[in-house]
Amino acid sequence: MSETRYFYEEDSEKGTERQIVAFALGSETYGVDISQVREIIPIQKIVPVPRAPDFVEGIINLRGKVIPVLDLRKHFGFEKKERDDEQKIVLAESHGESIGVIVDSVYSVLRIPEDSIEPPASVITGDDVGYISGIAKINDSLIVLLDLSQIISDAESRTLKEIDLASAVVK
Amino acid sequence: MKKDDLAEFQEDLQIFLIELDEILADTERNLVDLERSPDAALVQEVFRAMHTVKGGAATLGLDDAVEVTHTMESIMERVRSGEQELTSEMVDALFHVLDWLKMWKVSLEEHMDSPPAEDLIKEMQRFVLEPHTESAKVKTRPADGKHTLGEELNQKLDEYLSQNMPVYEVVVKFRPDADLLSVRCFQVFTLVSEAVDVIFSEPSVDEMESDDVGDVLTMYISCEDGGEMARQIAGSVGDVIEVSVTPYKPTNAPEAGRESPDATVKTSSLGRTVRVDVELLDFLMNMIGELVIDRTRLTQLASRLLVDKDTAVIGNELAALASHLQRTSQELQEGIMKARLLPLKNIFSKFPRMIRDLANRCGKQIDLEIRGENTELDRTVLEVIDDPLIHILRNAVDHGIETPEERRHMGKPERGKVILSAWHEENQVVIEITDDGAGMDPEALKRSAVNKGLVSVEEAGRLSEKEALELIFMPGFSTAKVATQVSGRGVGMDVVRTNLERINGHVEVRSRLGVGTTFTLKLPLTLAIMRALLVECSGCIYAIPTSSVEEAITVSKDGIQTIKGKPTLLVRGRIFPFVSLEGVLNDDPWAHQHGLQYAVLTRSNGEALALGVDDLIGEEEIVLKDMGKMLARLKGIAGATILPDGDPALILDVNRLL
Repeated sequence: MSETRYFYEEDSEKGTERQIVAFALGSETYGVDISQVREIIPIQKIVPVPRAPDFVEGIINLRGKVIPVLDLRKHFGFEKKERDDEQKIVLAESHGESIGVIVDSVYSVLRIPEDSIEPPASVITGDDVGYISGIAKINDSLIVLLDLSQIISDAESRTLKEIDLASAVVK
Repeated sequence: MKKDDLAEFQEDLQIFLIELDEILADTERNLVDLERSPDAALVQEVFRAMHTVKGGAATLGLDDAVEVTHTMESIMERVRSGEQELTSEMVDALFHVLDWLKMWKVSLEEHMDSPPAEDLIKEMQRFVLEPHTESAKVKTRPADGKHTLGEELNQKLDEYLSQNMPVYEVVVKFRPDADLLSVRCFQVFTLVSEAVDVIFSEPSVDEMESDDVGDVLTMYISCEDGGEMARQIAGSVGDVIEVSVTPYKPTNAPEAGRESPDATVKTSSLGRTVRVDVELLDFLMNMIGELVIDRTRLTQLASRLLVDKDTAVIGNELAALASHLQRTSQELQEGIMKARLLPLKNIFSKFPRMIRDLANRCGKQIDLEIRGENTELDRTVLEVIDDPLIHILRNAVDHGIETPEERRHMGKPERGKVILSAWHEENQVVIEITDDGAGMDPEALKRSAVNKGLVSVEEAGRLSEKEALELIFMPGFSTAKVATQVSGRGVGMDVVRTNLERINGHVEVRSRLGVGTTFTLKLPLTLAIMRALLVECSGCIYAIPTSSVEEAITVSKDGIQTIKGKPTLLVRGRIFPFVSLEGVLNDDPWAHQHGLQYAVLTRSNGEALALGVDDLIGEEEIVLKDMGKMLARLKGIAGATILPDGDPALILDVNRLL
């Protein structure tokens, strides 16, 4: 569908703003640009996919479509968490590919001023460079801004790499 | 009977049964039309149809059906000669004959005993013997009721039916010489009442407690599964020798319990056979011919490759051959897909009768118009849309069309109209169900959704009219009243939508208050369908395409032998290395061997392989679904599908499993 395009809102006094969907992951707060989020659904039956990379939690049936679901906790190396009602699946779409990501809970839609966002330090992002698009400071607390379309393409290339590795081992 | 005779008999029977299907469907429709407006030609046709069935049954020596059809034939004869008018009551009775014939047909197919016909014949003879005097008395009790129920009980049971809750009579017979009959009675009663709603029992609990029981326990229950659970529960209690479950019919005409014959027809109406146009068969044969030529060319090229050094020339020829092969196999595939098409008539044919019975029961007058019933669809699609169509049509009768008084009041004609039409549109088939009834009120839908806690008041306020109509597809929206008694399966509009999406279809609704409602179903013409064996392995269900399954067997512990310490199954002299599916999927084939009950014998890369699984679920037609680029190339996994319960499941690619 649509390319990643951030949604800026002009405000004469505060400058530009960004609208993000904020959610919790462990003790941290993350945010995704609202234009990347297609839908937020409750946790539902996720069928595991053997041989998929370990951050792939499984697949779900979303109105007749089969959609892969990623566990961001695993992706970031956080410890495992028991399923609870607070958890949600955030559905994102990029280049016609849909994925869902499991988050601990969804807070709300926030408007954050563009000038409160800083580029991430490379020591924090490490290999994950690309899909952390910035760090926002709101009243002394930090929100890590994610670019879900990068996560999709990153996950794709990681899957392909693992598969190629696996077949190389077989040969 | 000699073996040849038996085979011949089976063949004749098969032909007769296929014919019978068509005759019954046509006759049912003719009767619905006849009831609306008398027509000598239709009477003649019904008469002839019964005559044909009678003749067929007589040739095959099936006497009970001869007798039943004979009585119906005599009634039609009287109608034809003008001796008697066709009353609504007679139509009901004639429908009973058709219902009986449907059950009888199933009993023939399943090699079971024929259904009892005495009561039915008695019912029919009444019309032949005393044509003019009986009508008032006819329905004072169920036509085949064995018990005279108290009026109060009848009322109570009718009340259940009027709320669309099916009622069944369960008769449990105990061994007359059993000890402690009252205990057995009480046992059955308690177990059944834990599972379903028991409305009444004879003997009553008091009587059971005071030991005042016979060897028969009769219960009236209300449930959604056609009484199957009650039957099983009762059958599991000791000293029970017989359990019979029959739908309870209300005391006042029109009669209920019509759904059970519908259900019987459902299982057999599509059958396992498909009629194929000879031209299509010829085409398929030609394509196979092309494939054979390709195969020969391939062998020749291979042998030339061994002697000829000019590989470039051979390479070119090989490329040409490959592209020809691709074209041929694609056309072959399309041809086979076409052979799977069936006309919608197969499921539409039962609707006129269904609408008639439903309308009578609700005290409404409804005409059903069917258009485009020869539109063809893949048989799997046909199977999947049957229930949704029944549901939507029932809704149209129940909630769409108003009562004659209301319609008169609104200035509409008293008879309501439901139009069921189908047509091709590009690569889709569209089915539309339109009624000229009350339509849906978006505001009422919003209120209802808010009351059920599905949306908040604010959310409801923001919904457009179109979005408000979409609320009916939300899980939990359908009220209990709606979600009952569709052939015993409770479904709501959310299930309708889910089922259609499972086969890549879609449903939409339009409605105008006071004018009517239209449901539009858009369905794919053909599907990427395959037959697959569903197996369970550590809590997950996997689909294995039957094309790579040789056989599924039960594994006994001592059936497993080892070669170099590796488990192996010896099946009819062939050796199958025995691995667990769970182990294979975790890239450790020899792990997780314990307690495997079943093995699926397959071929992986040309080598025999037995996959151990926890359970075999069954064979099913599944629709291949894309999983997206991210998971597209996983080794040994061909894709995913969606199971009837809505859960996704992975499809295995056996050739690439190891």
